[in-house]
Amino acid sequence: MKTSYKKLLLLLLMLPLNLLAQSKLQGVVTDNTSGQPLPGVNVTVKGTNNGVSTNFDGQFTLSNLKNGDTILFSFLGFKEQAVTFNGQNNITVTLQEESAKLDEVVVVGYGSVKKKDATGSVTQIGEKDFNKGSIVTTENLLNGRVAGLTVNTSGAPGSGSEIRIRGGSSLFANNDPLIVVDGLPIDNATATGSTSYLASLNPATIESLTVLKDASATAIYGSRASNGVIIITTKKGTKKLSVAFDSQLGYGEVANTVDVMSSSQFVNAIETYFPSLTNRLGVDDPNSTATDDLSTPGIIEGRILYNTDWQKEIYRKTEYVSNNLNLSGNLFNLIPTRLTLGNTYQQGLRKTNEFTRTTASLGLTPAFFDNHLKLTANVNYSNERNRFTNGVEGSALRFDPTKPVYDGSNTVWGGFFEYLQSPDELTASVARNPVSELLLRRDKGVLDRVFGNVQADYKLHFFPDLRAVINVGLDHTEGIRRISVPKYAATSAGNGGNNIDDRFGNLEYNSSLFNNKLFDGYLVYNKKVNKLNIEATAGYSYQKFERQFYTSENQLSTTPTNPDLNIETDLVLLGFFGRTNLSWNDKYLLTLAYRRDGSSRFPKDNQYGNFPAASFAWKINKDFFEDSKILSDLKLRLGWGITGQQDLGPAKDFYLPIYTTGGPNNQYYFGDQVLIVGQPAALNPYLKWEETTTYNAGFDFGFFNNRLSGTIDAFYKVSDDLLANVAFADGANFSNFGYQNIGSFTTKGIEFNINADIIKKEKLNWNINFNASTFERKIDKLAYNSDINVGDIGGGTGGKIQVFRENYTPFSFLVYKQLYNEDGSPIEGAYADLNGDNIINNSDRYIYKNPDPDLLMGFQSTLNYKNIDFSFNLRASIGNHVYNNVNSSRAQLNLLQDNAVLGNIPTSALTSQFRNTSDVILSDYYIENASFLRMDNVTLGYTFPKWIEGKASLRLNAGIQNPFVITKYSGLDPEITGGIDNTIYPRQRQFLFGANIKF
Amino acid sequence: MKKLKLNILYILGALSVFASCTNDLNVQPEDDDKFLSDDFFATTDSYKRGLAGVYANLCLTGITSATSSNIQGLDAGTSQFGRCLWYLQNLATDEAVWSYENDPGVAEIQRNTWNANNVLVLGMFSRTMAQVSFCNEYLRQTTPAKLDSREVNDSALLAEIQDYRNEVKVLRAYAYYVLMDLYGKAPFYTENDALTSIGPEYNREQLFSFIENELNTVLPELKDPRTNEYGRVDKAMAWMVLAKMYLNAQVYINQDKYADCVTMCNNIIGGGYTLEANYLDNFKADNDTSTEMIFTLQADGNVTQSYGPTTIIINGQVGSIEGNGPALYGVGGWGGAIRIRKQFAQKFEGTEYDTDERNTVISGTRPIDITSISDRDQGYIIGKYSNISSTGAPGPNQTFVNTDFPLFRLGDVYLMFAECAVRGASNATTGQAVNYVNLLRERANNGSAHNITSTDLTLDFILNERSRELHWESHRRQDLIRFNRYVGGVYNWAWKGNGINGIALPAHFKVYPIPAQSLSSNPNLTQNTGY
Repeated sequence: MKTSYKKLLLLLLMLPLNLLAQSKLQGVVTDNTSGQPLPGVNVTVKGTNNGVSTNFDGQFTLSNLKNGDTILFSFLGFKEQAVTFNGQNNITVTLQEESAKLDEVVVVGYGSVKKKDATGSVTQIGEKDFNKGSIVTTENLLNGRVAGLTVNTSGAPGSGSEIRIRGGSSLFANNDPLIVVDGLPIDNATATGSTSYLASLNPATIESLTVLKDASATAIYGSRASNGVIIITTKKGTKKLSVAFDSQLGYGEVANTVDVMSSSQFVNAIETYFPSLTNRLGVDDPNSTATDDLSTPGIIEGRILYNTDWQKEIYRKTEYVSNNLNLSGNLFNLIPTRLTLGNTYQQGLRKTNEFTRTTASLGLTPAFFDNHLKLTANVNYSNERNRFTNGVEGSALRFDPTKPVYDGSNTVWGGFFEYLQSPDELTASVARNPVSELLLRRDKGVLDRVFGNVQADYKLHFFPDLRAVINVGLDHTEGIRRISVPKYAATSAGNGGNNIDDRFGNLEYNSSLFNNKLFDGYLVYNKKVNKLNIEATAGYSYQKFERQFYTSENQLSTTPTNPDLNIETDLVLLGFFGRTNLSWNDKYLLTLAYRRDGSSRFPKDNQYGNFPAASFAWKINKDFFEDSKILSDLKLRLGWGITGQQDLGPAKDFYLPIYTTGGPNNQYYFGDQVLIVGQPAALNPYLKWEETTTYNAGFDFGFFNNRLSGTIDAFYKVSDDLLANVAFADGANFSNFGYQNIGSFTTKGIEFNINADIIKKEKLNWNINFNASTFERKIDKLAYNSDINVGDIGGGTGGKIQVFRENYTPFSFLVYKQLYNEDGSPIEGAYADLNGDNIINNSDRYIYKNPDPDLLMGFQSTLNYKNIDFSFNLRASIGNHVYNNVNSSRAQLNLLQDNAVLGNIPTSALTSQFRNTSDVILSDYYIENASFLRMDNVTLGYTFPKWIEGKASLRLNAGIQNPFVITKYSGLDPEITGGIDNTIYPRQRQFLFGANIKF
Repeated sequence: MKKLKLNILYILGALSVFASCTNDLNVQPEDDDKFLSDDFFATTDSYKRGLAGVYANLCLTGITSATSSNIQGLDAGTSQFGRCLWYLQNLATDEAVWSYENDPGVAEIQRNTWNANNVLVLGMFSRTMAQVSFCNEYLRQTTPAKLDSREVNDSALLAEIQDYRNEVKVLRAYAYYVLMDLYGKAPFYTENDALTSIGPEYNREQLFSFIENELNTVLPELKDPRTNEYGRVDKAMAWMVLAKMYLNAQVYINQDKYADCVTMCNNIIGGGYTLEANYLDNFKADNDTSTEMIFTLQADGNVTQSYGPTTIIINGQVGSIEGNGPALYGVGGWGGAIRIRKQFAQKFEGTEYDTDERNTVISGTRPIDITSISDRDQGYIIGKYSNISSTGAPGPNQTFVNTDFPLFRLGDVYLMFAECAVRGASNATTGQAVNYVNLLRERANNGSAHNITSTDLTLDFILNERSRELHWESHRRQDLIRFNRYVGGVYNWAWKGNGINGIALPAHFKVYPIPAQSLSSNPNLTQNTGY
């Protein structure tokens, strides 16, 4: 009141000045729904540089006004409002919220389109809708938010994810979507020393993520778009200075461990199943000469028993710290600039495992010549420091729980408990102490990456309908990794022997250097003629990927090693593209796109592929429901297009006749002379593009001024001429397998998404978003109609559990049909003779289930009450099946004996009573339904809007990452990539605390 | 930033003309280990390296590491030529079981329940046909026209290359012999067939005749026995392949060729080979120095690493109970992977064999019967092979052994001669046959205590003696078939036909099926009867 009073006084004093030509205006800007004042609204005088923005009370003061001036009030997410100045002293302006998202601009390849005019299946998620919580890698901002997109990230900090859009399009070639950062398609290879190719991208720099799902949207990216495209747009500078600082702390712990026997269960099991081996339990009691009396169950005379939970011993409580500073403003009053500095540190659950990322990201968006020339420059620098760990889960599950972690008397092997033949010699072929493996191995990586682009967008002065755009991008990555293990570590390298003298330890240096260079140039013509609006784009794109890897191999090795620089053959992709967007009367929209792409992966005659696409949209509501108060939006979209696939992984020159010279451990003796050998490599001189044709039909709809809005899409994809790694006729090539264009594969699916502002009141807002999708993949044709066995499993050498078979989902499980006795217990090694030939052999394996889910769902809820915000998100997967390889290769009673020692096994062996791994490993008994409901994050926050006397706002929040999973799956975690669960790095449960400060 | 700017300038400069960029699609290998074919053969030493590449395919699975393979469809290490051969010739018989039946394909081989989808049957077929393909490529790359075009005109080098070509033809003939024996047929390719063309099917008669003609053609050009470098073939290898074919001609082409076999045996015996003084020295880490080796598959703990036959045998023969790997055999060992079956163990029963060096059976507390294949404490084990040298020095690596696999050796030739004599070859006397058998017996017993007489020399004796002398050397299945003891129920062994005491096998098991994958990728091939 005091301030208002002063202002009133001031106003009174100023009254006479109104008579002058130049005047002042004061006012307040509010939001039409909540009635709350809006801070940060741009208030400008049209056609001048005169402008201010509102303070935290929504107030502004604008001077130097003339009667008749038009004052514009603009604020992101609200409709711009104009007020004519005619001497008012004080006004209140109420801004109308923009009718939900329709005017949102959606980024598409080589341009952007208003969401209401989009004809393809495109989903864009902006910053405010990103997933919350401890998001270390960018792709997790999207997990569960987009129908048809799945992200499956390992538990290791900063680790990569399996990202799939509509299940992917290939059987053998790469299924990763194309990722484009500010116009620069990035290489999907992970550099040495890094955890994943997306780990160096700081999520805090990102403004929006756009997912292009159907071919009509992706075809403009032609060659690499078969698996969909994710366009990442970084934040841009603003004209007004803003400072935001976000800080997050987290504490994590392991959420769940594999159910193996405890010490007492284990003693009991040995007494029951291997009574002659009880003298191998625990460690020798030096004060006793007694031997075990089998008539005293649970007591092992003469031995000291420990109670070690090895899974607890390899994991720890973790810390997580993330700080991000975002500065945005208009540099020299000319260059809108954004600078983001970030640092993220996350400890892994495994002892010693950690991830640190430091980033600096700069965005400049100046405009010149009255906005005719717009320049955009994005430069990102990222430094990643990792300490890696080996997967010790296997030995932790296996290690005898009656053994201690440390053994001070074991001075030769670092003071850890190990099985010994003699003080200097380890027992052969038994588990090694997993804690020792974690603590004694130093495996550190450092990555430096600079990536970014410079884009010039010039609207021709003499022909403003035409724009010329040039975009140049670079992604340069240098990574190193150093590994050292002392010879006294039980897992150190040696000549294969187990004596300390057989060991030399490890000292390895590896590095990689990647370059990815891009040049795009295109012209955009935009013209509105009466009711017809034309936008035409035509251009050229060139991209070159270079990769090289160096390895020193083990420098301590006494056997010959091969320090080698491996230079991959370059990959060059170039394309000529064109696109036309036609819209008639803002009702009927047609997009035609065409791209001709060349890839250096194919022989000269087959280098080029042609990728056309067409899509049509009809804003039905404008024809039929124009006046409807209920239906605010209804648009039909139809799309068709062909996209290409050329990514055979590292096979970049498979069509060339190449001789390879071998390594130093793979030589051949002629007399006393040993020769590095040369051999021809398999090749296919007829290799060509794999093509995917996609059909998509969808509706966008909105009700009640789009408070309720959503989309529904149905699609059908056919991939032909699959780049398949299949059989060559024996003797006709230098291998029996190689890439050939054989086979076809289809995917069909339905996606549904709905977003609703359920409550929208002054003090209470509740928004929910729900999506559901289902897809079905099927192999239509394989080379020679032959099955291909896939899906490597643990337990035995070279076992496979999955199959590619015509008319079935890829990666279906190929198993024996378990027989059960009258009690319903499985009979070990008894399988149904499905082909009735009285022989149980691999002809009796049948297809039983597959890893694909029947239904995927995501649900997000955001609730605001006054200054309190509460949000959570849930994901569910229904009908996905997993082969429990942890149990199939470990839960058998005979494994209680581990060669000369004892070994722990999962408790499920007590239920199955299975004894021999080889008798049961391929049984359908181990295929489990792994449907689940997971809450990824729940966050509660409170905002102090007028912190530091109104100069800043402060939001404090607390949350839990991965609070729960509901599933019937008996293993550690039902969310498994590929459907084979053979010990995973567990996902943490984290407790998070954060602060967001804005100035 | 400076770098970035420079790079941008570079790109802008480089891309100023689109036309130049389209040429960028024609990439070249840049790595120092990769060459376009013509670039590879631009150096004179490449011809020998290429030859080594052909030989190496019999010893290595891939040329970058022991876990790499140029054959797919089965575990990389398992796809080694000699290992697959050992599985198909030994594991499928009374001489061995492999405890880890979760290794794909093993259970079906050792229980004789295999079918066309067996990965070991595929591995053998694909590896051997790859050998044919490597041979053909070498011959294509070394034609006079090619050499001329590369301006290879040094006469000494040209002469050497001619030797290499002849050796490659022997290797190709050997590969077809292996396929003829195991599968009874093979797709047929020579250097005149273009890469990726599809070869016709050759049956046993056609293969027999091709191999015989080919070997007889190159024989005069080959080096005399024991005059070539170690690791390369000479006349004796060609004679040995012919001898094996003639010995089994009854099986292959239904003809009596025992006299021809004797001729070949005599050629080899006259070639200067002598029995190594100590039987077991043929199976030790320095067996490359053995005086009786005709051809071996190389293994070296440092420079020729693979999961080939000697590496898996020596690691596999280490007992689950005994833990005798490092001390006895110079390897860590795989906890009892390989054991022997009762019927083979019984070949060494009786005091006659107590001091026989060839008897390395370890029984200890083990039962002779194997009632559960996965129980590694059941059944006897043996210690024939070792990664320790004849002078007691262990090989440099305790996983990858130094021991070469004795593919063909003189001891076998003596027994082949003796067998032909019993089978009535006109050019072999019983006296000489007994003499040859006794040479082996005297070596095994350090004296004549257990020598045989002509009355002992029966076919049954020879079959058993071959097993005692040559067990685990990839001959057993072929021998049992030749003696009519493989299929049918004349001779049953534990787990034959998946019966714990053995049951009769159907006749079609005399040959392996053509792998389903190989059949489907070559429409000219037909499946063997019964599969």
